[in-house]
Order: sequence, then structure tokens, then C-alpha cells
Amino acid sequence: MRKVLLIAAAALGLAACATQETADYCSARLSGNLDSAMAEASERLAKGCEFQFDGYFQQLLAIAEANPDAKNRMRFSDFLMRANDMEVISRRQAQALYNRYFGVKFVSLQGDYNTCSQTCPQRDRVLSNMQAELHDKELGLLRASADQQSFYRADNLLKEAELVLEATCSACEAGARR
Amino acid sequence: MPKDTAFLPILSALCLALAIGVSPAAQGDTGPVVRLFPTTVLEDIRETGQVAEDMENNLQEVIHRLDLQQQLYTESLCQGADGDQGCERIAKQLGATYLEMLDVMSERLPEMERAVNGTRSSLEKRLREELGQRTTPTTLQNTLLGESAGAASPEQRPALRGRSGVRLSDRFKQYYDLVATHREGPGQSLAVVAADIYLDMEEASHLIAATQQEIARASLMEQLNQSFGLITPEMAAVVGGVKEILFGESVREGPIAAPPYQIGEAEFESPLAM
Repeated sequence: MRKVLLIAAAALGLAACATQETADYCSARLSGNLDSAMAEASERLAKGCEFQFDGYFQQLLAIAEANPDAKNRMRFSDFLMRANDMEVISRRQAQALYNRYFGVKFVSLQGDYNTCSQTCPQRDRVLSNMQAELHDKELGLLRASADQQSFYRADNLLKEAELVLEATCSACEAGARR
Repeated sequence: MPKDTAFLPILSALCLALAIGVSPAAQGDTGPVVRLFPTTVLEDIRETGQVAEDMENNLQEVIHRLDLQQQLYTESLCQGADGDQGCERIAKQLGATYLEMLDVMSERLPEMERAVNGTRSSLEKRLREELGQRTTPTTLQNTLLGESAGAASPEQRPALRGRSGVRLSDRFKQYYDLVATHREGPGQSLAVVAADIYLDMEEASHLIAATQQEIARASLMEQLNQSFGLITPEMAAVVGGVKEILFGESVREGPIAAPPYQIGEAEFESPLAM
């Protein structure tokens, strides 16, 4: 009986150590250049650290921001595709993340219903979300990828969308009043 | 001074109207999906532009005369020269010319009101149907980004809301460039141009009525002033405002657009891109 208890205690201790090791392994900061950090992140994701995906993504953005390069967009695209292949994130999540940070178009202004019925009733919220997304694009496009032209396009798109939505929603409201 | 600010949106809307009004070609250039400028809308805009142009032509001569009289008044050191008969005569002439300017404006405004309201209604219908009901947020974004070939680049576009600083006739030339671009292929900025004109027209139609009332009040005040031969700061402000609107004698806000961009030669295209 005493022997059994000793074995059980030893097994529990080993399991606890293993859990602690895994937690340490997953939560250790990514370092090095972007390529090696992405490789490290992908390896960890494949070894059970999926729950850390958001944290890794933010760390990778910070590394990219410190080392701006036009190819960083491509590196992030590949990283997100790998994460999707590993089924850590869905294709839709990968698209949303990539476009939020590295695309000119706004994820916040999407939808399959017409503008009068979908966007106009919540125009202020949509524009506020677009403004927040522009900050993420500033990080992804301007600071991490040194792509001023694409960032200006996004900035311009937001201003034009604001103007066109104001006019369109006003026209929709006038039509609804009749 | 309420009057000079009241007139800004009216005439700034008409700057755009003038420009787009010359473009029969723009009608067919909006692409097969978004048709914001059919013939009827273009005709409304053209008419509104013509009314604005007539007003510019009518006021130009009066304002030139006002300038000369003001110059004479200043150079004759009439400011504060109470009791000087010569100065009183100049002041009365100035006041009479000012009244003439107000007359021209009040004569032209009802016609402008009708034209502005007509254009606003027709544009409102097109915006609602084409951008509001037949377009999703996704396609609206694509339209604005100009995924169609031949879209105008920002540096080719005229500055929109907040325009000013140039004569109406010069803006007319600027917008001609926009029209030429549209003739070559569908351009993304038509939605923005339509939105811009519509918002200005909407504001203008509210302000025209207020301006008409203000002119009536200013006319009465000046008729009273004629008895005393005064040049009021109000007169100077009104004239300054009208000159700014028509002849762009002071620079206002910048364009809404960010600095121009150019597409890189080997732009990366992600399979994740929308």
C-alpha cells in the first residue's frame, strides 16, 4: 500500500513538472529576427501552444515594427497561412487578421446586405471601427512594412467612405421618410 | 458675419455643379453597375452651374466698382473725416453700389434655390438607389478604391469639400480634367463627387432661404444708412465674403484626400487579401 502511494505521488509530481514546462515553453518571449521568431512561433503552435496564438501575433508585430521591411507583409501572410494549415485559426480569421493589418480595404466595412439596411443604421459604429482599424493598418502597413503608399490609400479610403456614407445614408433616410 | 459664411456652401456647391455640368461624357463613364450621373441628373447640374455662372458674371462688375469706390474712400483719407462733403458723397455712392449688389443677389437667389433643390432631389434619388440599395458595403469599398481599370489617381482629382481659393471659372477648368479622366474609363471618384455635390446642395438649399432673409435685412439697414452716408463694417464683411466665394481671394481648407499614392511595381499580393 505504501509503495502504491509513493508511485502515485511520483507520477503526480512528474505530471505537474511537465505542465509547468509546457507553460514555460509556450509563454517564453519570441526573439531574434522576424523569420526565426515566426518559425519558433509556428513550432510552438504545432506543439500544443495554440492558446498563445494572439500573444505570438502581437509579439511578431512588435518585432516587425522594430525591423520594418517591405517583405514583412508576405512573411505575415505565410505565417497566417501556416497557422490556418495547422488548424490553429480558421481561414476567415486568417483573412481578417491579414487584412486588418496589411490590407488597404477595411474589414470593418464588409457585408452582403445593402448599404441602406446594413451600414446606415450603425454608421457611427462602423466609422469608429474603421478608425480603429486604420491604427492597426498604421502599424502593419506603415511601421512594419514601410509601405506608405498603401497606408495613404487606406487613409484616403476611410475619408471617402465617411463622405459617401454621410451622403448615401442621408439619401436613404430621406427615402424612408416618404 | 452670418451672410458671408451663409453663402459659402451655396456657391461652393455650384463650383462643383459647374464643373460636372460640362461633362456629357461623364454620364456613360460610371460603369455598368453604379450609374450616378444619368442625363437627367447631368441636366439638373448643368442648369445649376449656369445659374451660378450668371450670378458670378453679374456680381463681378458690381464688386469691381465697389473695390474702386472703397479704394477711393481710403486714399482720400475719409476714414473718420466726419462732415467732409466729398467723403460723404463717396460713402453714399459706395452704399448705393452695395445695395445694387444685394439686389443682384436677391434677384438671382430664387432661381438658384429652384435649381439647387432640383439637383439635390435628383442626386438624392440616384445615391439612394445606386449606392444605398444596389450596393453592399463590400462593393461600395471596391467602388471607392476603383478596382475598375482606368481609375483616376488622387493627384488627378480636384479637391472636393473645402474647395476655394480660385475663381469659379478656374475650378471649371480643374473639373474638366476630372471629366476627361472619366471619359477614358470608369473612375472611382464619381461616388465621392456625387456625395460631395449632394451634401453641398443639401446644405445650400437650407442656407439660401436664410440668406434671402438676411439680404432683406441688410438692404433695409443700408437704405437707412444712406441717409447718414455710413460705411459699416458689416458692408465690408459682406463684400469680402462674396469676393472670397466668387473669386477665391483667400485660401480656405485643404482637400479631403491624403497625399497622393502610386502603386509599387512589384506589389505583393497575398492569397489572404480581400
